[in-house]
Amino acid sequence: MASPPTSHPRIAGAIPRFSWRTTLAVLAILGLTGWSVAGTEFDPVKLFTNTRPIERFVSEMFPPDLSAATLRATFTGILETFQMSFLGALLGAVAAFPLAALGTQEPPTVGASRGERFSRAVPYHLSRFVLNVFRSVPDILWALVFVVALGLGPFPGTLALAVHSSGILGKLYSETLEAAPIRPVEALRTAGAGALQTFLFGRLPQAVSGFTSLTLYQWECNIRSAAILGFVGAGGIGQQILISMNLFNYPKVATLVGATIIVVLLVDRFSAAVRRRLVY
Amino acid sequence: MTTWKSKRGNLTSSPPNPKKPSFALSLKDVTVRFGYTAAVEGVTIEAEQGERLAVIGASGAGKSTLFRVLSRSVALDEGKVVLGGRDLYALSKKELKSVRRRIGAIHQAYNLVPQLSAGVNVALGEVGRMGSLKTLRTFFAGPDRTLATKAEVALERVGLGGSMAGQRTADLSGGQRQRVAVARLLVQRPDLILADEPFAAVDRVTTERIMEALLELNDEGATLMVNLHDVEIARRFPRIVALREGHVVFDGPPEQLTGERLEVIYAGEPHRSPVAGSSPDAEVPRHCRQEPDPTRIPEGRDGISAH
Repeated sequence: MASPPTSHPRIAGAIPRFSWRTTLAVLAILGLTGWSVAGTEFDPVKLFTNTRPIERFVSEMFPPDLSAATLRATFTGILETFQMSFLGALLGAVAAFPLAALGTQEPPTVGASRGERFSRAVPYHLSRFVLNVFRSVPDILWALVFVVALGLGPFPGTLALAVHSSGILGKLYSETLEAAPIRPVEALRTAGAGALQTFLFGRLPQAVSGFTSLTLYQWECNIRSAAILGFVGAGGIGQQILISMNLFNYPKVATLVGATIIVVLLVDRFSAAVRRRLVY
Repeated sequence: MTTWKSKRGNLTSSPPNPKKPSFALSLKDVTVRFGYTAAVEGVTIEAEQGERLAVIGASGAGKSTLFRVLSRSVALDEGKVVLGGRDLYALSKKELKSVRRRIGAIHQAYNLVPQLSAGVNVALGEVGRMGSLKTLRTFFAGPDRTLATKAEVALERVGLGGSMAGQRTADLSGGQRQRVAVARLLVQRPDLILADEPFAAVDRVTTERIMEALLELNDEGATLMVNLHDVEIARRFPRIVALREGHVVFDGPPEQLTGERLEVIYAGEPHRSPVAGSSPDAEVPRHCRQEPDPTRIPEGRDGISAH
């Protein structure tokens, strides 16, 4: 049997051939780069010519302060940071779930009336708006707000993490729900299932392991954030880092930062291991 | 080649179930467009309740779209669809739900939720009849005893008895999933069955078994509409409807489906026409098949692909 004609002169390799669109994109990126370099006074030369302060800072950090008092302070700081990040992720996930469920767009029934479409669009846009507000304000700003409202300490920090996490998780959850394979969902709808039923039996089971993975990842991010929330007085190890910095106690800073790095790495490892074992 | 016979013999239609209102279907001049291309155009098909129809046609001929029209899953550009005496596209949301309860669809095995157990997937055949309370109960605690028993009986009926009900659907083989999908229909007991390629990717034995289960429902009065790639299997149905580029080009008993007619239906797909060999397409290597007409709708544009 003869093989079919294979004349496809327009097939390119993995890298596309010349196109105006790509050229314009490359030019735009180059332009933005130059503009940003100028705006930020970005100067790598400076990094290598005036090394005195850096040298002094680094050399004074060693040897790290490993006295019992410092280790105890580090331990309590780390523990608090850990607890803040965990509670923040958990509360965030709990708040994110209903918002995500409401913020998930179901394709409307074919031939649905305008009123029907409207009644579906209202909760969707409302919850998406709330999630956007939660997410677009960085957690350190939320921490500032809560510190002003509730005073210093880990509680406002935890709340800040929870609000920011729910904004991020809510968005990611609803995206996961929307990306669930549609055919099982459609099959249920075709068999007469309503919105609650298609959600519970169609979308949710298909999205739930994605939720777990996302929540674990958010916890990782939270532990990094929790380490600096102390800078604005919202508890955690950051508070101690700031104090030691201000007292020029660099050996103690070294201990605190080192401990933070170790904990962050451990949590990363743990959550990656769990996520690998998730069954989809 | 054997012809599938229902228990009442090879009837074209069975008397409708006296308990339920008739669920005859009628499509009149139905046109559905995706962009500028019409997926189906001016299609008119009437079927009594209890009829058995095979729908054939090349890839992209509009078979899947036709099925989606019958469950109001795609917007209608022109025409009218009447199911059980009611205009499907004029129903309110609530009425639509109650009509859809009587429609059972299988799209290969893709209508199952892979993360749920086979038993729950089968029990979901009743999802349209569950109230909010029963829905939540089923979600948290699983189906109640009556429904669970129904699901198990249905699974046994398709040869998946024993511990199969508790298995994650994702862990089942393709053929097993196909049978789970059919078991769901046995629980749902629909009046109209839309089976989209139910025999793709299953062996002969499973094909017979699935067909048997579908015929059982047909015997009870359900209209059976099956979308097929394999003309030989279609010939075992009392009525064949053939689509080509969105138009009905044949509607009649298999005896009238001559070689010349088949050639028209599958023109442009040489491996299917009887001239290129009447053997099933599985024996033709993929690279020898000619590419479909590029102006046709690429498969999947309507949300469904046949493969």
